[in-house]
Amino acid sequence: MRRVAIAGAGMTSFAEHFGLGIKDLLPMAVGECERSVDKGLDRADIQAAWFGELTTTDGFPAGVLADSCGLVDVPVTRVENACATGNDALRNAVFGVASGYVDVALVVGGDKVRESSARSTFWEWAAMTRDMAWDYPLGLVAPANFALHVARYLHESPATREHMAMVAVKNHRHALNNPKAQLRFEITVEQVLNAPMVVDPFGLYDCTPQSDGAAALLVVAEDVVDRYTDRPVWVRGVGLGLDRVMHQHKVDMTTFPATRRAAGRAFAMAGLTPADVDVAEVHDCFTGVELISYEDLGFADRFGAHKLVEAEATSVGGSLPVNPSGGLKAKGHPPGATGVAQCVELFEQLRGEAANQVDGARVGLAHNIGGPTAVSAVTILGAERG
Amino acid sequence: MTCIKLIGTYLPPWQEGGRRLPGGDEDAVTMAVEAGRVLLERAPGGGIERVVLVTRDLPLLEGGNGATLLAGLGLPSDLEVVERLGGAPAMLDAVLSARPRTLVLGADLDPAGAGAVLVSADGTRLRPVSRIARSLPVTARSRDGVMHDYDDPRLLRERGLKASLRQAGPEDKPFAVAGIPHGQMRGMCAGDPPRLPTLGASATVFALAAMAEREEAGVLLASEQGTLTAVAIESAPAGTVHRLEPAGRPLPAARHTPGPEIPISLAAYDRAFEPKVRWEAARCGGCGALAYPPRRRCRECGSEGAWSPFPLPRRAEVYTAVTVRVPVPGLATPYSLAMVQLDGLDVRVLVRTTAAEAGTVAIGDTGRMTLRRVAVRSGVPDYGYAFWPDEPGEPDEEEVR
Repeated sequence: MRRVAIAGAGMTSFAEHFGLGIKDLLPMAVGECERSVDKGLDRADIQAAWFGELTTTDGFPAGVLADSCGLVDVPVTRVENACATGNDALRNAVFGVASGYVDVALVVGGDKVRESSARSTFWEWAAMTRDMAWDYPLGLVAPANFALHVARYLHESPATREHMAMVAVKNHRHALNNPKAQLRFEITVEQVLNAPMVVDPFGLYDCTPQSDGAAALLVVAEDVVDRYTDRPVWVRGVGLGLDRVMHQHKVDMTTFPATRRAAGRAFAMAGLTPADVDVAEVHDCFTGVELISYEDLGFADRFGAHKLVEAEATSVGGSLPVNPSGGLKAKGHPPGATGVAQCVELFEQLRGEAANQVDGARVGLAHNIGGPTAVSAVTILGAERG
Repeated sequence: MTCIKLIGTYLPPWQEGGRRLPGGDEDAVTMAVEAGRVLLERAPGGGIERVVLVTRDLPLLEGGNGATLLAGLGLPSDLEVVERLGGAPAMLDAVLSARPRTLVLGADLDPAGAGAVLVSADGTRLRPVSRIARSLPVTARSRDGVMHDYDDPRLLRERGLKASLRQAGPEDKPFAVAGIPHGQMRGMCAGDPPRLPTLGASATVFALAAMAEREEAGVLLASEQGTLTAVAIESAPAGTVHRLEPAGRPLPAARHTPGPEIPISLAAYDRAFEPKVRWEAARCGGCGALAYPPRRRCRECGSEGAWSPFPLPRRAEVYTAVTVRVPVPGLATPYSLAMVQLDGLDVRVLVRTTAAEAGTVAIGDTGRMTLRRVAVRSGVPDYGYAFWPDEPGEPDEEEVR
């Protein structure tokens, strides 16, 4: 297998893009990715594309990407793996390049959450990850899926709602400097704790917003990387992990085994350990999920995640900044785009160009968990070839 | 001659102004099942051969309620089910005409309550006295479901019950009159008539239950507008009546958010129906592991296909629980979801909570699993089990008095 690098990265802002359809957002992200390539990119160089889109908007995703971005001459594969879609699209492209099948591949992620009425969005999206007979009729809305885990986590661990609030405060503060972020305002722990409850133990500020957006990465083989940049970011490891789909079959709901499996595979491929990570983009669709994920990714001991936020270790300026982009919480969460956008952030971090630059960042990790908590993707990027 | 062996009653825990109200997850079928199960838990050997449900509030006029009744009651699905439209007299008629080994159920929505009577070859004897059917549709509801109320209580009293009594009433003053308000009953009855919580089919069962508990013999009347049935009953032995009648509490405020209905897949509904409504897991023939919901491939040993049904326990403890407070299109909020661990088994289920205000169920709470209408999707009631937490202070006892 050949080494694989990222030579370009771009994304749209994440927002309620009522005025932009998926056919607008995709070329916008691909265009910004193209312009980020230091030595330029001839779009005809792209030999294949992998497109992560969770839902289907305005037609079948692969065709929409090919048509809207001028890629009808190359094979395009749609990847859908719940909230792990973006990082899994990258994973598949990496295999396509590493294997020698293509030298230059495009990875795109995108979703239009705010495309149907707020009322109908609820059940349309829920239908994608629920058992129609056993889960769906219960009213198992998206926050409830994660709240069932976090309620038990709060019961067993020393973490409290205050620790969750600290995650929200941190990620909102990080988003202030990120021009692509959806929620660019600071909040306080008190505001988080006093916000209207969505699903106990999540208040409004514990939850990600609904977002539209797209992101793109140019993935190239080691053999050709010099044509595009002298400062590539290397894909060191990719991992995908799954778990039992139904909550009733998850033995210990204070942890996400899918994350442990995905991270284990990614770290093994990279030959790195959690201690080697300088900056991470961690799936924080709900604040408590970021805490649990610290433990599953190996950044904290079991039930020790609260100590990291208490010590501000995961704030920019701390020992392991997490979600310098603002995370899903404040940057936004168009699911197909989310994982790809995490890697856009890491690309900039590892090249020293990020809005919230983590000093000396050499290894970055991106993480998604979804489906609702039955699939995880982890990507490890590095400034060094490895 | 008809003999009653056992009587079961059920009242939902919600009330307003002294009237019991059904929870948002209850209907005539779930309430009839509650009353029926109270009785069946005391029926040695069971041996039920047919089921009659009397109500004016059948959840489905088309589509059928019988399969849910049988599954919820844990009775074989080859029993005859009669869905009989009627009020208090129809319930009394159904008991009188029932053959032994018939479970006769009555359920009402407003006021809400349900009752069950096991008709047997022996037991407390009932004898028909008189019956009359007259038409006085002061309240009328046709197939469009719209209730029309003529709103003339004096006409109803004079030309309804009183006129029927003049034509067909027994000579003796009755013990009680099922189907009319308590205020009207006083003065008509022999002694101090019991307070009956309902006015429809189940009122007859509540009257039979009161009579049995007082161990009185006498005449019982059941009235609905112009229709009247009278029976003579001998005194019942102690232990005939079993009640599930929790104390009434105000129905918590609920927010109804308009929105699209959750769609239903009838194919998925059909595959899930028996395990979901009968409360049965599948037991692996290879390793004995339980699967709920049932599945093809065993999670433990990987064997496929060799499954047998396994009845699940009805006691459980909360492993984790959350409360949905945000408005949810098409649903009433707030509501609580709980992951509960079933007693003595390595089986967890994700369920709604019931009979408790949303947000009051906590990790570690114990309770029982009971049939509820979990959702209505595309007009189809979707039945499944919900977690009814124990009242504080009685962790292991059902609320049976």
